[in-house]
Amino acid sequence: MAPPRTYHCEALALKHVPIGETDLLVTFYTRDRGKLRAVARGARRSNSKLVGHVEPLTQAALSLARGRTLDYVTQVQVIESFGALKSDLESISRGFYVAELVDGFGSENGANEPLYNLALDTLHAVSGGPDVELPLRCFDLQLLGVSGLKPELYRCVECRSELLPGRHRFSPGLGGTLCLDCRPPDTNVLPLPVQVLKVLRLLDRSRPGSLQPLRMSDNLKKDLQSLLELTLEYWLDFQIRSNSFIEQLHNEAHSAVYT
Amino acid sequence: MSMGPLPAASPSLARLVQELHKLPGIGPKSAQRLAYHIIRTPEDEALALADAIAGVKRNIVLCQECQNLTDSSPCLICDEPRRNRGQLCVVEDPLDVLAMERTRCYSGLYHVLHGVISPLNGVRPDDLRLKELFERVGGGQVEEMVIATNPTLEGEATAMYIRRHLAGTGMKITHLARGLPVGGSLEYTDDQTLSRAFQGRQEL
Repeated sequence: MAPPRTYHCEALALKHVPIGETDLLVTFYTRDRGKLRAVARGARRSNSKLVGHVEPLTQAALSLARGRTLDYVTQVQVIESFGALKSDLESISRGFYVAELVDGFGSENGANEPLYNLALDTLHAVSGGPDVELPLRCFDLQLLGVSGLKPELYRCVECRSELLPGRHRFSPGLGGTLCLDCRPPDTNVLPLPVQVLKVLRLLDRSRPGSLQPLRMSDNLKKDLQSLLELTLEYWLDFQIRSNSFIEQLHNEAHSAVYT
Repeated sequence: MSMGPLPAASPSLARLVQELHKLPGIGPKSAQRLAYHIIRTPEDEALALADAIAGVKRNIVLCQECQNLTDSSPCLICDEPRRNRGQLCVVEDPLDVLAMERTRCYSGLYHVLHGVISPLNGVRPDDLRLKELFERVGGGQVEEMVIATNPTLEGEATAMYIRRHLAGTGMKITHLARGLPVGGSLEYTDDQTLSRAFQGRQEL
């Protein structure tokens, strides 16, 4: 029996590109179908019933019609528009970051509800809160986990021995921590300060939306971000573009304060 | 006439189809149809099209003031003495200048950014004509800047970025009102647009 012509799903809009005269090709991440690209016909017309409903970082209930190559959005009801997040430039830049990574790690025709929930939880957590650095890093680590790439943080990935307190190393390619005795050839091995390992273990047990504030030095923040960024980029196989925008905003704000 | 596969004996036709296929929104079938249309078109009309394409590639430059596409710099709008030089409208694309001009309710100058900040598509602030904008308003002649980027997430981010850069200048910075479109329907309006329309309600 042929599948029904129309179907419904709940989704987070990640990005869109214009196609044709007035249409948009929208990339969604859906709760029960994974990543989905669909055409929103006429969505660039100011009086279209779809306009504004398929903007990036909008959670919505969708009705879609099956097409030959791409499906078509027929109706949309916004569930959460993340207005607070969209009212601040820094928050928007973090939203772009979340969208880029969900787009990168999400796969089409592969439902991953934990990934969907993680994205929504993170967007709520970074919507203008006082401390948004830690929720983002928690998102980074949890994203690897829900994608089946969770790094090992308690044992050496080479000899499987339990890590003893002290300085260790981390290999994105081998999938986690290395003890000082193991020296695998030709892998990109990073130093892993003990404080970074402790924060990683904390983030491993947490959710972005329920993190307690944690005082971290600038160096610790930098080391943590660098390690997670390299790990994410190792699996993505491309550079995270929104990261450079976040950095640019941070540097400009910093230089404005000190000039 | 059949639109079947291209004869191997016509490399010039194959080349035309290939070039037309590079245009946005033109698939292989449309490219073939356009190519056959050009073949059937009288020679002077087809050559006029080729000449027009060559002409824009040879003559079009960016206006050194507003960054709009023009045949000569400064462009006709920047050169017009009756324009209000104290008002500057910032738009995303050259087509937005045409849309604003059609309204006949704005008589100031423009600045074209040639895009919006879109990290997901690899567009950073440095890729836009923002440096030229900041240099331009640094002269102190502009009293009001009207930011007319599209009400999309990227358009809003670009507007916020500009506003943040010019925060300490004391210049009046406005952006176009957000709200309901003419011919629209409340039922189908998204929450953000409706709440902004409500905030910007006017006394009858």
